[in-house]
This record gives sequence, C-alpha cells and structure tokens, in this order.
Amino acid sequence: MSLTREIISQHARTVCAVMGKYALIITEKPDAAQRIASALDVKEKAKKMEEKGVPYYLAERDKEIFVISALGHLYTVAEERHGRNYYPVFGFKWVPRYVAERRAKKIRAWVAAISKLAKGADTFIDACDYDIEGSIIGYCILKYACGNKEGVSKRMKYSTLTKQELEKSYSESLPHLDFALIQAGLARHEVDWLYGVNLSRTLTIAARDWSGKYTTLSTGRVQGPTLKFLAMREKSIRSYVPIPYWEVKAEVDIDGKIFQAKYEKKEIETKREANTILSACKEKNGIVEKIDVRQFNQMPPLPFDLGSLQGEAYDLFGYTPRRTSNIAQRLYLDALISYPRTSSQKLPPAIDYEGILKNLNNASEFRKLTAELLEKSELRPREGKKEDPAHPAIYPTGNLPEKVLDSSERIMWDLIVRRFMAVFGEPSTRQSVKICININGHRFLLRGRQTLKEEWLRFYEPYVRSKEVLLPSMKEGETTNIKKVIVEDKFTKPPPRYNPSSILKRMEEAGIGTKATRADVIQRLYDRKYVRDERMVVTDLGFEVVEILEKYCPTVVSIKLTKELEEKMSKIQINSEKREDVLLGAVEILKSATDKLKEKEEKIGEQLSNAIKRARLDERIIGTCPVCSTGKLVTLYSRKTGKRFVGCTNYFKGLCNTSFPLPQKGTVRSLGRNCRGCGWPTVQVRIEGRRPWMLCFNPKCPLKEQRRKAVEMRNLR
Amino acid sequence: MKCAICGREADERSYCEMHMKAYESIDKKYGAWKKALQISWKEYLSEIVKNPLTGEWAKELAEHLIRSGESQNVESS
Repeated sequence: MSLTREIISQHARTVCAVMGKYALIITEKPDAAQRIASALDVKEKAKKMEEKGVPYYLAERDKEIFVISALGHLYTVAEERHGRNYYPVFGFKWVPRYVAERRAKKIRAWVAAISKLAKGADTFIDACDYDIEGSIIGYCILKYACGNKEGVSKRMKYSTLTKQELEKSYSESLPHLDFALIQAGLARHEVDWLYGVNLSRTLTIAARDWSGKYTTLSTGRVQGPTLKFLAMREKSIRSYVPIPYWEVKAEVDIDGKIFQAKYEKKEIETKREANTILSACKEKNGIVEKIDVRQFNQMPPLPFDLGSLQGEAYDLFGYTPRRTSNIAQRLYLDALISYPRTSSQKLPPAIDYEGILKNLNNASEFRKLTAELLEKSELRPREGKKEDPAHPAIYPTGNLPEKVLDSSERIMWDLIVRRFMAVFGEPSTRQSVKICININGHRFLLRGRQTLKEEWLRFYEPYVRSKEVLLPSMKEGETTNIKKVIVEDKFTKPPPRYNPSSILKRMEEAGIGTKATRADVIQRLYDRKYVRDERMVVTDLGFEVVEILEKYCPTVVSIKLTKELEEKMSKIQINSEKREDVLLGAVEILKSATDKLKEKEEKIGEQLSNAIKRARLDERIIGTCPVCSTGKLVTLYSRKTGKRFVGCTNYFKGLCNTSFPLPQKGTVRSLGRNCRGCGWPTVQVRIEGRRPWMLCFNPKCPLKEQRRKAVEMRNLR
Repeated sequence: MKCAICGREADERSYCEMHMKAYESIDKKYGAWKKALQISWKEYLSEIVKNPLTGEWAKELAEHLIRSGESQNVESS
C-alpha cells in the first residue's frame, strides 16, 4: 500500500515538474479546504501552508493541488458613487468586501493570497457549497481574484465532506460552473441590495434629518414583509377581546381511579346552559352508551430539510433557527452530516443507506437500532414531496465524531441520526378509544390513546411527543359512578405570538426568502429592535416602520409581490427569465416607492424619530419604583462623573430620590419580571467573558441574605 | 386630529388606526358577552378591563370608554 502511494507521489511530482503548474481548488470555508485537501492527498496528509496569515493546503495526487478557502462571501454589491447621504441609488458594482465594509479588513489578505496562488495555476476548480450562495462565492473569486477564470473552471459537486465523496467529486468534476444558478444568485443579491440600500437609507435619512440624531433603520425585500406578518399578528393580539364560554366536565370513578370526561359540546356559550347541564347531572350515575375503538397507522416522519430541522430543534431544545443552522453547519464541516442548507425531503439510494447504517453500528448508543434496520430485506425511506436539485435531505454520513462534540452539537447529531433511522421504520399502530357516558340525557366523552406497535417510534424514541392515555376496559350498558360534575369558566384566547421557529415556517409557506437567509432576516429584526422577546413582540418602532411602508409604498411590503419577485428570480435558474429584466422590474418598483417616501420625508422623519425616542425610553425603564410606587426606575447617567445608575423618574418632580448603583461594565437589560425573593424589579447584567447574572436592587432582599449566609457557612466549614 | 388615547394621528372618531381596530373588536364582541352573561355595556367594559387575555389596545380603549361614559352604538340607537 505504502509502496503504491510512494509511486503515485513520485509520479505526481514528476508531472508537476514537467508541467510546472498545479490545480487550484477554491472552497467556501477553511474547514472544508482542510478536509478536501486531506481527502485528495495520496497520503491523506495535506501540507498546511500560510500566506500572510491565510491558510492553504498542498495535496499531492495526479498533480499538485493547492486548496484555499474563502471566508464566506469575499465580494459584495456596492454603490458606484461614494457617500451615504442620498437616495435613490441604482448604480452598483461587485467589489471586495473590504472596500464596502469597514469590519471586513481581513478579507484583503484572503483576496491577495488567492490571487497569488491563481497566477501559477493551470486548472481551476470551484469546490464551494453547491447552492446559490456557494456558487456566487466561487464565481466571484474566479472572476475577480483569479482574473476571469470563471469560464475555464470546473465544479466539484458534493453533499458530504467524506473522503469517498470528495474523491469522487474531484475525479468526476463538472466541466463548467452552473451559470444559470450563478445568474439567479447574482440577481438575488443585487435586488436585495437595491431594496435594502434604498429603503433603509430613506428611513434612516428621514429620521436623522428630523431629529438630528443618527439611528440605523433598515428594511429590505424580505425583512419588510416578514415584519408585516408579525405586525398583523401583534395588532390582532393587542386589540383582542376574549369571549366567555363554559366547559362542563364529569369526574368518573372507575375501579377507584378518577377519569375526567368532557361534555360532548366543547364550548357552551351561555352560563345558563352550563348551569342547566350541571343541575341535570348532579348526583346522577352514568351509563356507558357507546365505546368507539379505532386503530390507525402513524407513518414515520419525513427526512429533515433545513426548515424542518430548525422547527424540530426549536420545539425540542428551544434553539433559534439561526443557532440550529450554525450547529448543523459545524457538523457538516466535521463530515458528520450531509449539507444542511437543503430543501429536499428525499434520500436517494446513491447515498448508500446500508453503508451509513453499518458505520453508525459502531456507535454503542445506536447499535441495537441499526442492527435491526440492517436485518430488513429492503431499506426504503419515507420521503416527502420537496426536492432540491443540488442536495438530498439532511442525513448522517455514518462517520463518528473524531473530537468531543459540545453538548449542542452532540444532541443535534443524535437527533439527525435518529431521524434518519426512523424514516426507514415501519408505520406504528395506535389505537384511539372514545367512551360515551350518558348522564341523565347528557353525553360526556372519555378519550384514550395508546400505542399498540411502536415500530419507527422506537428509533426516534427520545424525541417522540405522542401522549399515551390509557383507559380501563369498560362495556356498553355498564353503569358508572360519577363523583362530581363541574362547570369551568373559560375565555377564548388571542392568537399565539410568533416565535423564531413559527415565523420561519410562515416565511417558508409564503415563499419569501431562501433557506439560507431566513434565519438571518429574523435575527435582523431583533438587532434593529423592531421585535423583542422569544415570543416575538413587535415594538413601537417596528409598528412605525411597517405603517410607513404600508402607507407610502405598499408594494415593498406586499407579500404577493414579494412572492412574485421570488418566483421570477427562481426562473432565472431555469433560464426562463433574464437577470436584467428582473433588475429593471425591481428598479421600477423602488423608484416609485422612494419618490413617494421623499415627498413625505419630513412627516416620516417625525413619526420615526418619536418612535425611536419611545423605544429608547422603553429600553431604559427597569420597572416600577418599589419605594414610591408611582415613578419608574430608569437607567440614568451622572452629569458629573458620566457613570450610570438607576434612579426614580419622580426625582425630577422632587417626590422620590431612590437610586441604586449599577455595574459600569457590560450591558444592563430589564428582565421584565420582579425578584422572586422580594418582588423588586430586576435587571440582567452581561459582561463579555462572564456568565450573565440577575441583579436585584433591594439591599435587604431575603435571597441576598440567604446567599450571604450560605457563603459564610461554606467559609466556616 | 390626535388620538384621544395615544396622541397619534386619528380619524374623525378621534382614534388612531390601532385604537380604532380595538374599538371595532370591543363593539363586535359585546353581542357574545351580552348573550353569555346578560350584562350591560358598562359592565362589559369593566369585565374586559379586568381580563388578562384582553389586548393592550382594547384595554386602553375600554378604560377610556369607561372614563368618558360613552355608550355603545347599538344601545344609544
């Protein structure tokens, strides 16, 4: 084996010496560069090199191969003219990110290193992720950093970073880049930039010119409609008036155990009707009128696409879509799972189900389950309808972790592995039982549910959320002892607030944004303070932005038009729409929108400035003053020292001089809840490098006293 | 014209768009409350002010209606 390697290695060196040239592979992330280089090197030990702090790798194979990575996007869209004080802006060009963004200085070294390596290369291979973003990253590097090599470059297409797949995708590289995909991607970036720069600048300039203070306000092609979804829901919640109704329940005693049966009509609209039922059933026995038993099959779940993984991780672990996306990306770069930014629910046989399960069999926690699946005569996954031309659904590669995963990575990998196994399982069989008990002419229902055959549920066990309600065996005509009948006062509930997972789902349903960008759009709404809290509450500022856009340029927040534009951009990918036409359409919409906004600039400025002022004040409010009970505790800054502290607003009226010191470092944020020990308002203090902690201002808080005593006891011991 | 509750721009009924939406909701739901509990408009307003499920704008508007002693359209007609 080693002799063969040596021969290949010698051969490679000879070829390179003759040709004097090498192949240059471009990847999207440094981890991917290292994996690809190691996979392609004959000794699986690529040589790590550095050019002004930029790592790259040398792999020896049939010829020398240099593998260098990008750092995500190295190029971006920027305006042709300099300055930020004008709009509309329709002239743009693609530039290195360090030209357009102050924080992207290190990109300069990356671009320089790639350009230097490109000079000696005779073969170019784009190995960035095979999707829209990856294709643009590769295209821009080949065009701008490598000197117009996009036309001669080959393309590696892979869904996992395993050695086997990388070698295959290298030897069977596609002869050219996917230009239709690139055109679609470029159009998407350009349209998004046009929307973002024009609308955000309009809002920011309007507010700044009115108040004289600068605050970054933003909106965009996807951000605006997403905020509109949230604002619509918030309006329904804030103007909601609940309606009363009543529920009647009977407590049934069966063999000494109490079961609760619900009245057949779920919501009773009047109190009188509820009381009539109550008096009719009081102190009466019930008779089992009918027992309805039904068996049904529960199909295995579908394989994960990014959206469903984000939804499941939020429901199970409370991870935001962005966090899930980042964890999944790390697992992909560790070659533990396939490419996560997929919208596919298909698992083609080419991924080698058996091979993956055999490898997973080496992990003790999955051994029993994988062995069971491997015994099946045929492995056929349950698949969904959604397809992705570039990648299959998310699946484990079969590789086991080479390093210790952190707890979030471990749990995500476990979830993906178990989901993968579950899709090969047989449908489970469940049984529902409905017992109808007649109490003096009124029907009450007892409902039970149980699993008869677990099947796929066993593979997905810790993550299954089906409830088991077992009922005792009963016979029709049997008399039952009714312990008591109760009437419960109820009210209808407002619609639930969106959370990061449900808003992502709503965006998917509406067809706005892409799987790669949705999570970031949601995060931006938080960053701009348009929404707050996990159950997303739209702030005054968020409302103002939506209201202004809806009033003066409804087209830019129209969900229908956004979806249409999204479809047009997708059509570029199949060559049935032209990038130029899509751009012209976007410019037309934006021109009329910015004209209308400019006309009302002063009014918009006033509206936004007031909302910003309110938002800033709200941010500073910590809670009601516990001393005077009428003022509010707010964060203030001392004129003398510039130090921050907490003071009561009634101080300015000469009514209350309550004040407390605050830590001078880090950020202080109201927790919106009172201390459980003393009921005073609390704040959360965050200092970089330390765990955030809760601070109660009450010097006599019993919790502080308890803690002090505990420390004293410990010291004594 | 300014909204009688929050000072935003208002329509001829002197409520802003948000409080107008809340007014419509309060007005619309009174029928169901009256049927369920046989209560007057004033009692209804006090009930919804107390209810934790009532939305913020609806609560503000109900408090305003109680203070101003405004009777419901249906009743006054």
